[in-house]
Formats: sequence, C-alpha cells, structure tokens
Amino acid sequence: MLRKRIITVLTLNDGTLFRTKLFTPDYRYTLNFVDAWSVDEIAILDVTRGDNPDRKKFFSAVADFAQTCFVPISVGGGIRKLEDVNRYMVAGADKVIVNTGALENPKLISDIANAYGSQCVVLSIDAAKRENGYEAMSHFGSVSTGHDPATWAKYAQSLGAGEILITSIERDGALQGYDLDLCAEVADAVSIPVQVLGGCGNWQHMTAAFALDGVSAACTQNIYHFTEQSIASAKKYLAAKGVPVRV
Amino acid sequence: MIGIIDYGLGNLRSVLGAVEKLGHKGAISANASTLMLADKLILPGVGAFGDGMRNLVERGLIEPLNELVLDRKIPILGICLGFQLLSQGSEEFGEHAGLGWIPGTVKRIQPEDETLRVPHVGWNDFEQTADCILFDGVPDPALFYFVHSYHLEADPGITVGTCTYGSPLVAAVQSGNVFGTQFHPEKSQQHGLKVMQNFLERA
Repeated sequence: MLRKRIITVLTLNDGTLFRTKLFTPDYRYTLNFVDAWSVDEIAILDVTRGDNPDRKKFFSAVADFAQTCFVPISVGGGIRKLEDVNRYMVAGADKVIVNTGALENPKLISDIANAYGSQCVVLSIDAAKRENGYEAMSHFGSVSTGHDPATWAKYAQSLGAGEILITSIERDGALQGYDLDLCAEVADAVSIPVQVLGGCGNWQHMTAAFALDGVSAACTQNIYHFTEQSIASAKKYLAAKGVPVRV
Repeated sequence: MIGIIDYGLGNLRSVLGAVEKLGHKGAISANASTLMLADKLILPGVGAFGDGMRNLVERGLIEPLNELVLDRKIPILGICLGFQLLSQGSEEFGEHAGLGWIPGTVKRIQPEDETLRVPHVGWNDFEQTADCILFDGVPDPALFYFVHSYHLEADPGITVGTCTYGSPLVAAVQSGNVFGTQFHPEKSQQHGLKVMQNFLERA
C-alpha cells in the first residue's frame, strides 16, 4: 500500500538555514541530522530575496544533500524558466517546486512537464485567508494575485503539474494545526497528490490532515521541534492511529 | 568504472552519490568513447519519454549503447524513466519508440479506483515475483520510492517484481544483462542501496 509521506521542508537563505533560532545555523549539522531521520522526502527552498540573488551557496547546499541523503529531494526558489530547472536538476533535485514563476507565467508548468515529466513539477501555493475563502499570493506571500487557490491548483493540474504543495500563510509557524478547510478545498479540486504545509505543531495535526482525501504528504518546517527522534515518534503515533506510514 | 549515462534529463548526481557511497567509481558522461570503457552502465531517470529518446539520439548514443548492451552484454540498470526507455515505446505526450531491448510498452497509469491519484508518488511495497540477483538480501516485501505517471506493461517472462497501485504494476525486470526498476533505488535508503550494490557487485 502506498504510504503517507512526512516531508521535511528546509528554507535556506544564502545557503544557510533560515529558521534556526535555537542553535547556531550550521548547515552541516542539519545535513547530518536529515540523513539520520526517517524522513520520507526533503524539500529545500531558497528564500534569498532580491532581484537576481547569487544562488551559488544554495546550489552547493542542494548538491551536498543529493550526494548524502538517499531520499527524494524537491527544490524550489526563483524558478522562472526551463534553464533554472535544469540547474536545479543538475545540482541533484529530483523534482522542482514552482510558485511565483508559475503565477507570472503558467506556461512554465507545461514547459517543465513536457521536458521532465509531470511528476517533476510541484506547484506550491501560498494561500492567505480572506473573508470569503482564500487567495493565492506570490512573491513570498507578499503580493495579491486574485486567484482562488483551489481554482489555480486545478488549472495547474491541467497544465501538467504533478503535485500541489498548499501552504496556509496564517498557520505557518503557528503550530495550531494545518488549515484543514484550505487543504480540503485544494485536495478536492485536483486528482494529483497534495502536500500540506503550515501549522503542524503535533502528531494529531498530521493525523487530521491525513484524514482528508488526497492529502498524501504532511510537511513540517519547524526543525527545532522535529528532530531525529520526533519524526520516528510521529510515525509510530500515526501508525498506531491506522495511518499507513513508512516506519 | 560505472558509466552513468547523461542524456540531459536524469537525476545524475543522486545516482553518482549512491555509486560512490557504495565504494565504486562512477563517471557521468554523454560521451560514447567514455561509456565504451564502462564495466557497467546505469540509465537514470527523471524526465519525459520523448525528450529522453530524442536526447539519446542527438548525443549519438543509440548505436554505441546497442553495441555495449546487445553485443558486448555489458550489464545495464535502467531506473524509472531509464527503465521505461529500455522498452519498445511509450504513449507519453504522443507515441515514441524506445530502445527496444526488452519487450513491453509504456502506458499511462489509470487506476479504476478514483481515490488513487496519478502520479503514483511515494513509498510503496515491492513484491518479488521471480528470482533476481538485484533483490538478494532485500526483504520481501520492501518499501521503495516511486514517482511516475506511466508504467511499463512488460512481458511476465521478464518481470521480477511488482507493486500494487489499484492493480499490480511492473516494478522491476530482468532480461539477461538488462535490468530495470520503476522505483528509485538511489532514493530508497538502505533497501535501495542494497539493490544498487547487488547490481554493481553481482550483475
């Protein structure tokens, strides 16, 4: 039976972990930890700002992960054209994550799908809560697009996206649980696998997300709560609750 | 030396990382004269079938690979798209001919159960259906990482393992010196590394 996945999301700023508040942000330390985790997949996002940031350190970080972690790696950050994808794939990505680039130019999704296959394209949507639903935001959640996340996800699927990563901007870092309404809206709108991110604070939150049809992966970003033992204990908890996971 | 065939689309570095982790020397190359020196070949796989074949043609690799695999019987391991390219052809984004080294064609995954989403992404049970040295010392079943929208409808005579996603899908084949896995051994932690080690040391 296909297992539900737990994905660790690492956000790097100029090659250094962004969310390391409690210990010195030493990249190798994290690499060693991720290698030892029973994590199912790793997502690495470059959050370096600026018009044209030098991504050399980021590429080198991705390459290090690819050579030492024998789990799938999806990589995103600043992808605007096919050549950007190529650079990430050469660095060691197995899939790429697109967000703002696809909102600006939806054809980017079909270009990547045609060249690398649909399974290679993860469309990431940052969703902000509005009075009557949700809105997809671009540029690290700072720019309104007017798009409804579920509608955008469905359109992206028609263009060839292979997976959707839906993030609740409000829940991100709040540890109050995933926004299940948002997750359900998006998961119901598409027939491709959906990864959910934003708000996971304990194992019950994962169980609640996995109870939704179509949620195939729970992502967690909070690396100082989710260390080596905690992924294993999360899986133990999920397995006991009847969620099929890889233990 | 393990020749890792660079056709512009594979997750080459991950494959090289696994080869090196297992203590072998690997070379990523699109150059026929380099690949001719390889003791074994790996055809990795992330990409679309048509682009994969076109890139192999454009790099002038079809004839050299035919010589290596069919005449010199060099062991080759196809992974994911590389596994599908071993076949006679695919319907992905139009009809495309494959390398034709193993009987079978590539079709889109269409589970009857609509709750099963495509692509088939994640860790799934692999069950051995015939003896194959790739899986010596690997538990049966074992979890491997899959990510694909298409699957190979292979001749049962060469199928050595399946996974179930709605219905059984061919997940590994062997035909003489030609080996292939639909899952990614280089992405499947200890069991995947064992499969690669078996290929590198016993095939």
